Amino acid sequence: MPRMPDKLKSLLKIASLLLWALCASQFASAQSGSSLPTFSDDTLTIPRIDVEGYGSLELQLQLVDTTNLTFQLTSSLAANPSLTPGATYDLQTSELSIPMVQADTVFYKLDLQLQPGDVFTVVTAAETKLTGQDDYNAQCASCHGVDGQGGLVSVSLVNCANCSSISTLSNYIANVMPVGAPESCAGDCASKTAEYILTLFQIVDNPMVEQTIQAISSLSLDDTLRKASLQLVSRLPTATESQQVANQGEAGLRAVLDGMMQEDKFYDRVAEIFNDLILTDRYLSVNGGRAEALRLMRIFPDAFWFGDPQEATRDDEWVQNLILSNDSVAREPLQLINHVVKNELPMTEILTADYFMVNPYSAKSYGVFDELAFQDEFDVNEWLPAQIKDFEFSKIRIGDIPHAGILTSLMFLNRYPTSDTNRNRARSRVVYDLFMDVDILALEGSRPDGEAVDISSPAPTLDNDDCVVCHALLDPVASSFENWNDRGFYRPNARWYDDMFQAGFAGADRPASEEPTSLQWLASQMVVDPRFNDAMVRIVYNGLTGAEPLAPPGDNATEAEWDAYNAESVQLDALKDSFVANNQNLKTLIKEIVLSPYFRADGLTTESFAIVHEDTGAARLLSPEMLHRKINALLGFEWRGPLDLYSVAKDNDRRARLLDDRQYYHQIYGGIDSFVVTQRLTEPNGLMVAVQERMGNELACYAVPNDFLTAAEQRLLMPFVETTTQPTSSANQEAIMQNIQHLHSHLLAEDLAIEDPELQLTYQLFISTLEAGQAAVGSTEDGNLPFLCRRTNDLLTGDDLASPLTTDPNYVIRAWIAVAAYLMSDYRFVYE
Amino acid sequence: MKRRTLLKALTGIGMAGVLPMSLTRPAFGATAERFLVTISATGGWDPTALIDPKGNTPRADGLGPVNNYSASAIKSAGNLSYAPYPSMIEEPATESTGHFDTFFNKHADRLLVINGIDTQTNGHDSGRRFMWSGKLEEGYPTIAALAAAPFPDQPMAFISNGGYDFTASIVAPVRTASPGTFNQLAFPNSMFPTDPDLLDLELVGQSSYSLVQQAREERLVRQRMAETLPKRQKQMEQLQTVKNSDVELQSLLDFLPNEVSSGLAGQAEVAIAAFASGLAVSANLNASGFDTHGDHDQDHTPSLTALLEGIDQLWEQIELRGMQDKVTILIGSDFGRTPFYNEGDGKDHWNITSIMAMGAGITGNRIIGATNENFEALKLNTSTLQPDDNGIIITPQHVHRSLRDFLGVQDDLDKLFPIGVEKLDLFL
Repeated sequence: MPRMPDKLKSLLKIASLLLWALCASQFASAQSGSSLPTFSDDTLTIPRIDVEGYGSLELQLQLVDTTNLTFQLTSSLAANPSLTPGATYDLQTSELSIPMVQADTVFYKLDLQLQPGDVFTVVTAAETKLTGQDDYNAQCASCHGVDGQGGLVSVSLVNCANCSSISTLSNYIANVMPVGAPESCAGDCASKTAEYILTLFQIVDNPMVEQTIQAISSLSLDDTLRKASLQLVSRLPTATESQQVANQGEAGLRAVLDGMMQEDKFYDRVAEIFNDLILTDRYLSVNGGRAEALRLMRIFPDAFWFGDPQEATRDDEWVQNLILSNDSVAREPLQLINHVVKNELPMTEILTADYFMVNPYSAKSYGVFDELAFQDEFDVNEWLPAQIKDFEFSKIRIGDIPHAGILTSLMFLNRYPTSDTNRNRARSRVVYDLFMDVDILALEGSRPDGEAVDISSPAPTLDNDDCVVCHALLDPVASSFENWNDRGFYRPNARWYDDMFQAGFAGADRPASEEPTSLQWLASQMVVDPRFNDAMVRIVYNGLTGAEPLAPPGDNATEAEWDAYNAESVQLDALKDSFVANNQNLKTLIKEIVLSPYFRADGLTTESFAIVHEDTGAARLLSPEMLHRKINALLGFEWRGPLDLYSVAKDNDRRARLLDDRQYYHQIYGGIDSFVVTQRLTEPNGLMVAVQERMGNELACYAVPNDFLTAAEQRLLMPFVETTTQPTSSANQEAIMQNIQHLHSHLLAEDLAIEDPELQLTYQLFISTLEAGQAAVGSTEDGNLPFLCRRTNDLLTGDDLASPLTTDPNYVIRAWIAVAAYLMSDYRFVYE
Repeated sequence: MKRRTLLKALTGIGMAGVLPMSLTRPAFGATAERFLVTISATGGWDPTALIDPKGNTPRADGLGPVNNYSASAIKSAGNLSYAPYPSMIEEPATESTGHFDTFFNKHADRLLVINGIDTQTNGHDSGRRFMWSGKLEEGYPTIAALAAAPFPDQPMAFISNGGYDFTASIVAPVRTASPGTFNQLAFPNSMFPTDPDLLDLELVGQSSYSLVQQAREERLVRQRMAETLPKRQKQMEQLQTVKNSDVELQSLLDFLPNEVSSGLAGQAEVAIAAFASGLAVSANLNASGFDTHGDHDQDHTPSLTALLEGIDQLWEQIELRGMQDKVTILIGSDFGRTPFYNEGDGKDHWNITSIMAMGAGITGNRIIGATNENFEALKLNTSTLQPDDNGIIITPQHVHRSLRDFLGVQDDLDKLFPIGVEKLDLFL
């Protein structure tokens, strides 16, 4: 990249052609978008030049003579009319004047003269500066990078949220940036810096971005529907839904998704996505003690409203109330998110809500049940907003609790506790990470080593520059939690530390009048910060695709990394724009992600983009929860143990093989407990593969005979064959092939033509297992189904069957079990 | 270095995922001869309550005593000093292997203690990351992953029981569960995997199962060859590599106790059984209950007892398998706890901490590093490792620099995840 600056510098040295300096401000005012001519890889690109008689052109000139700096015109296309001309050409003198060319991070003014042979020779070149460049380098580059692609805190300015106009960006800089010190770049500094950012970092109509995205081959809308349906509502699409998509295309898919996002299962998934980051499910009874959440709220006199644990008789009802109340309290922050999503409120309400969520059980624990109008006091799924008024603790009147959404959630505050030395900084870090998409820990890359920490100062976080880097960001938010103690309770007027940055956000001090409602004030500031939208996009994108958005490439990044990053950034910005434009409705964001090429990626149209797209796509190893739900969607029952006692085990999550971690495989298969284990495994290991193998075998053993018990037209797996269908006739062979085709489609979303080699190979597996089995009957095997595969009772009720299925004299059922076992441990089964 | 940059670097030299890695294969073959166990006292332990005792001498600054026991009651075993139990706290029974006297009298000769380590943080996440990877920055694998990386063919090369188990994709972490689960997975086609008499009764018919297995393998190869989305192709490669590894989980069962213990002791039993059966190379174990912001003495003491009992059981298992010369143990925590009590009789986070090491290659009965009466780290001379005002403060970087050299972490991995501090002979 830096070749051109060197060449130009040497030319400058040799020719001493410093003829005139550019009036940068005059020029910059004419620039916008990607109009700026650039020099890269020996190519001079002028995005737009207006030439009389030729119109608006985009020119590319190739450097052909490095000694004389001679360029050959290699491309002339119609320019994007939205761009601003970046050069002029004088037909009388044949001079091409380019007031500013960007080469890497240096800028030059160039004049070129047309020579015989249609080549241009540089006649003057002078290094120059773009308006705002010095201000940008001084105020912004340390965090955003000289190239605007993000630095220590990974905030990219490429197509940034506030980059819609100079005035918008200028106002934002003047009021907010640099974080913690906006006064250092206000007025002229802010407007010049905004011009600079818009000129350099806006990617508009970047052909490489377009090519990069076009290289992705997307799933069909029908397959996208299936993928989204399994992910969002844990079921296959209905025939009606599929037809709607077939008839109406993308509009139909959006409409179907709208319908799905009304279903209860959808909200389970939303809660799961957010919990992977917020981790408040740590207090659910399955993840710890049965009363962890309730113990955190013991100062509420009715916490154990069903009877004190020290005194009450611990009968079944007591235990049930304990678990339901505990889990209802634990789920409060995630239910707030669900409430906001369900009612299509702006997502900002998850921070600004002046209420919290309760169901009948948690309402009793908090002592607010009588103030609310529940329809069914035993319905754990009925959630209502509530407020805590006139709170009193130890005969001290605390007053009304100033709720601020998740920020004041008892579960959230306890999940991220504080201490006398921590002073809410852990909470601040999490708030930045979750709701501002800023990883303050990334700043630790420049953390001083042990010797450099000046601990002689009484308040190094205020006066040691090494410390202030982080703490200027961290501490104002931490101080905003000053009224909330280490146990997560509201304690207004508590003494706060004066040897740290006081409450505030993004350079603004919290007004003194807001002190009692400090977190409400903080929330009001955070939700107008565009980074909140970035955070929502990141959370949902991660949840739906299984991958974090790409981080800005590092200093030694390849072009492929930049191409991948830039293309994805443009897509994410478009998603964000839709989200913001639609009242920050999370459902909009989900629909846009589902329809995006990054969710639908199914392959590449050209191998040349393989490196660029090496991380592209939503293909993921299914989490144990997702796999558990997928099995139910495809087979009509869950993988529980033991399967022959399914009717007994079907409501007991301790029996769910992929949800329980005591007897079964939840953590082995990469699940989290939101406490000690907080990161999901995303790559398989030896034990996980063994789980897949057992899963395929057990499910096949159970599902195949069970399917044969129902009428053919109602079967999920075996609609085309019977237990007696052997390949003894062409009709039977055709039926077997049809069934195999169906199994590939149903289980693996693999719609293959009947003559496809894959189906032929599966057919061969059926035939070979059938023949091997038939040969073994009478010696190593008999005419009965394996004991656990026999069906003698009804799956759901356990009632005895009038016509049990226990024998398999011709080995047909067992051959199908083998085929099903083969398919149900397949990559396409355990990944989505 | 950003994580993505790291992954790029890995990809660039063919190391992404859990693929066989020629660069990381040990020259002597695929059989591990050295094993590593890391034990995390999760939450931030208090070294002054264990191996860096101070006593109850009032602090000059009026913040109160560091500990609630007399300095004159501090005990020793060999060259090691250890804390007595705080006054007003009920001691565990002396026959408990986790009683301080019992534990240190039994293990002092093999224990190396490093005191006065500055973690430079009091955040749990960053503390764990620093303590187990040697870097405060994100993106660096835990030392247990570095130890296991050369052995990708072992199906459980790196066993993780949670905590900081980031691997940077150099090896896949394996999480374990109850012993009954191992039976189910060791015999994935058995209907009754826990009943030796019925073990051979299979779900998929005996005569056809090998055909199914062969078909599974062949299909995965075909899928990978036909795939055009690089991400899926990589996932298929990973799956294929793991499936092709020699998963002989049955052998693990031979080395597990009939009744696997609960808690840390159980984690230890599974880890050593996995080592002994050739399935694993490293394991991180977790003991919780150390984040004692309230009632510190009351709550911290039983956590320490459980920790020491777990360590003792780990050593018992190591001896049972005759692996004393093969298994190295490292015990540490997120950071330390304040050298004074808060208003709730608790102790908050403090950046100074200690580690203990024992087992293969460790010369015991030694203390390196020191802290002053206020539990602040003292500088050490880099050559003599003795306190020296002109020396340096030890950080987890120094610990890991030395640990990597001691364990023989391969150069390629060491350079890929560099720790650029002076080398100290902490473990030799």
